Amino acid sequence: MTKLTKSLKQYLEKYDIASDDIRISAVLDVNENFGFSDTYLVLTADRLVLAAYEERKPGHVHQFGGYSRTELNEEQTDMPAIRIYELENIEKLAVIREISGGALYAETKEGDIRIGRFTNSRMGEVQRFIGAFDKVKKGEELTKEDIEGKNKMECCPKCGLLYPDQERKICPKCMDKKSIMLRVLGYYKPYIPQIIIMFLCYFATAALNLVWPYLSGTVLYDRVLAKDESLMEFLNLPAGKFTLLLGVLVLGMLSAKLTLLAIEILQKVLTARIVPKIVARIKEQVFTSMGKLSISFYNSRQTGSLMTRVLGDAEEVTSFCIDGVPYVFINVFTIISTCIIMFSIHPLMAIVSLVLLPFLTIISYKMMPRLWSFYGRRHRANRRLNSQMNDNFTGARVVKAFGQEDMEIKRFGKRNSGVRDAEISVAVYDNKYYALYSAVENISAFMVWGLGAVLILNGSGLELGVLITFAGYVGQLNGPLDFMSYLFRWVTNCLNCAQRIFEIVDAVPQVRESENPIRPDYIRGDLKLENVTFGYEPHKPVLKNINFEIKAGEMLGIVGRSGAGKSTLVNLISRLYDADEGSIYIDGINVKDLGFKELRRSIAMVSQETYIFMGTVAENIAYARPDATRKEIIEAAIQASAHDFICKMPEGYDTMLGSSGRSLSGGEKQRISIARAILANPRILILDEATSAVDTETELAIQESLEKLVVGRTTLSIAHRLSTLRNADRLIVIDNKEITESGTHEELIAKKGTFYKLMELQTKALAMRGLE
Amino acid sequence: MVDLNDLNIDEDFNEEQMRAESDDLLELRYLTKDNAVFERTKGGFVSLEYAGKKYDRVGVYRTFPITEPEEYISIREADEKAREIGMVEALSNLSKDQADMLREQLRIRYYMPVIEKVIDVKEEYGYAYFQVKTNYGVCRFTTRMGGDAVIALSDCRYQITDLDGNRYEIVDLYKLSVNERKKLDLFI
Repeated sequence: MTKLTKSLKQYLEKYDIASDDIRISAVLDVNENFGFSDTYLVLTADRLVLAAYEERKPGHVHQFGGYSRTELNEEQTDMPAIRIYELENIEKLAVIREISGGALYAETKEGDIRIGRFTNSRMGEVQRFIGAFDKVKKGEELTKEDIEGKNKMECCPKCGLLYPDQERKICPKCMDKKSIMLRVLGYYKPYIPQIIIMFLCYFATAALNLVWPYLSGTVLYDRVLAKDESLMEFLNLPAGKFTLLLGVLVLGMLSAKLTLLAIEILQKVLTARIVPKIVARIKEQVFTSMGKLSISFYNSRQTGSLMTRVLGDAEEVTSFCIDGVPYVFINVFTIISTCIIMFSIHPLMAIVSLVLLPFLTIISYKMMPRLWSFYGRRHRANRRLNSQMNDNFTGARVVKAFGQEDMEIKRFGKRNSGVRDAEISVAVYDNKYYALYSAVENISAFMVWGLGAVLILNGSGLELGVLITFAGYVGQLNGPLDFMSYLFRWVTNCLNCAQRIFEIVDAVPQVRESENPIRPDYIRGDLKLENVTFGYEPHKPVLKNINFEIKAGEMLGIVGRSGAGKSTLVNLISRLYDADEGSIYIDGINVKDLGFKELRRSIAMVSQETYIFMGTVAENIAYARPDATRKEIIEAAIQASAHDFICKMPEGYDTMLGSSGRSLSGGEKQRISIARAILANPRILILDEATSAVDTETELAIQESLEKLVVGRTTLSIAHRLSTLRNADRLIVIDNKEITESGTHEELIAKKGTFYKLMELQTKALAMRGLE
Repeated sequence: MVDLNDLNIDEDFNEEQMRAESDDLLELRYLTKDNAVFERTKGGFVSLEYAGKKYDRVGVYRTFPITEPEEYISIREADEKAREIGMVEALSNLSKDQADMLREQLRIRYYMPVIEKVIDVKEEYGYAYFQVKTNYGVCRFTTRMGGDAVIALSDCRYQITDLDGNRYEIVDLYKLSVNERKKLDLFI
């Protein structure tokens, strides 16, 4: 509940309202003129008080979704306008839902009165207030849950920040880019021995690279070509034979290059061994956690973009792992050691060659975030294009039937040009960045040559060989520095992808298995629903206070308009979703405490949507029980009247179904899914418009097999055609989110309520059309 | 099979009446200044007298909220089923007073702050934090990145939905400064 500010508490005392009298309070966050201002709702045992503050002063920032809404505005000390309603005058409080919020109104003897307005940010709070109001009016005491609400806002355990999205338990502050990077690197952990060898390779490479400019510069020019005798002595070579010395030098340089090559090969072989394993691991992890996620995750995201996520992002992270991460080490090492050597050879020249480095850092730092966003945008554009294509292929029949190919091409064109534009803006910015970067690098090189030349001409002790060595080192720095600039871009892209991957890996399924699940050996199939309330969106219930009980082996028919929540109800029983309030019991055990395996094994569903996956007909039928024998599969198919059409197919039960295989008609798919349910032999059977996709003749056949299937099982059957429910032991009618009627077929007919009317209507409609 | 969903089955069963009702559903009824009288209620709502029936409170809905806010206004019953009573073809066809009454109700129902100035947009780990100046004042809100948080209503018109489901509108993107547009770059 929203607490009140001190100043308001004091102010209310003038109206004889002490803090102890207040049962519950809430805040409406916009006023009648839609300005952002707070109106406090305060409920006492006999009064409803409104304290409306003036609009917030300029400079105030109003906070909506994602921000902590529990903070009090203690600075607000002006006098609010007070309105008081006596509770006895108000029959009911209710909310009119609007587009971005709602209006709270009171039903009174004088008609409906609007009390105030609020945005969606306050919807939950206001709904709770109304619930409490009803209780107080009836004279009941409020429980803690009535006041605080059931779902408390959750905070990040590390920093205490309110999760911006209560459904995604991810704290943006604690989940920073650095930790993403560390996590990506964490995938390398199992390969530490190989990694150590790789590191030795990197350092060897870098060391050899460092020797190279020294050999080709100082040694070649200032020693060999300058005919330095001391070097001859040092190498124990006969005096005067400078050609031999040159030969030794060349041999040394050659072997250095060859060693480099050998090391490189070794290192590539190691990389090639480790990286694919890591990539496979990432993909596996993503797929596993996607499997664990609740059905609502899939409903809220398009399938196309999910595919891009798993495949594309893993590829991107991979490519970074293959070509990026190892070179980070080589290059960092090279840069540092080059700098050290340069300073030890000639500090002044070193300073000149490195003086522009900070500029490079600044350029990267300034331009990187923007580049980052361009990459993200390109990715989104690609994803949109993919989803559009996906939609289009699935809907190809409709497109063709209405002759709308041209329009679809146009729509595709729009998305496509979106991708093009995103690509172009990435390229343009990328080039800008790169041009600036290499310009700075080139200036650096010119400065070295210039200063070197001046120093040599002045004869201030700089030898030609040293200058050439320096130029070599500066050139050598270019490579790693280039890479570092490239690395920034790369890391950006990779982090973007890694972020998306981890988002899926970390997503917490809304429906979770209990930590200590109860695993009964046998489930009888008693089913009981107690005060079940559920909505797909918070505060918008689809089902309200559903209560019923079925004994094991009984059949319950569920009747209601389409959209009344019948399918939702059965989804709750099999825990595709969890009820917001109330509980569901199987054999007296709350489904939330039941192990997933036991729960899913005891429930089978034949629904209006059929799912045929890639595999043979036999595999499809044996989906729930892969160990089923051929005999059992055939028996199930016969019971589902699927045997005939399966036999007629050239490959019989071995026919491949799914994306590249044979396609089945709606009725055939339906019969396979019934066979699947028959084979699963569940204790609780859910038939959700099981015969909706088949013709009348087949329906009769299926109906018969269903009647056999139903015997001895707890069955919930949803049907539009009421005649199919005549065997039900009991029927419930769901209307307007609630159960409006329940009883046996005869009872409901005798009651002459909704069911009777529907029944009457259907018989008449069918008779009129000569169908029955 | 007859679609039973929309028939009103709450009243006493009477085949003729039911048929009349289902015919009713198939018909578009227009409310005009000659056959309908709207009136403001004390409680801040609008009542309607039409075809000999008095509705104490009616719901006023746009059928094309984005493309045609002033025409084809659907007038519906106030209860949860919200059955349609009739339609106002164009608000301009009503008397000014009557039309204004409905406009007030529409303004309430379709309340949506219009973003006049984008002060700050920050992206962090899948969320975007906005601070904007709207026609109702300065506010902050948070949206999910990607997905449908920002949708284009036309080339220059955008609608933003925050985590709570509140909506905000950018009427003309090109009236914002270049700098502000840059901040929105990520979404557009």
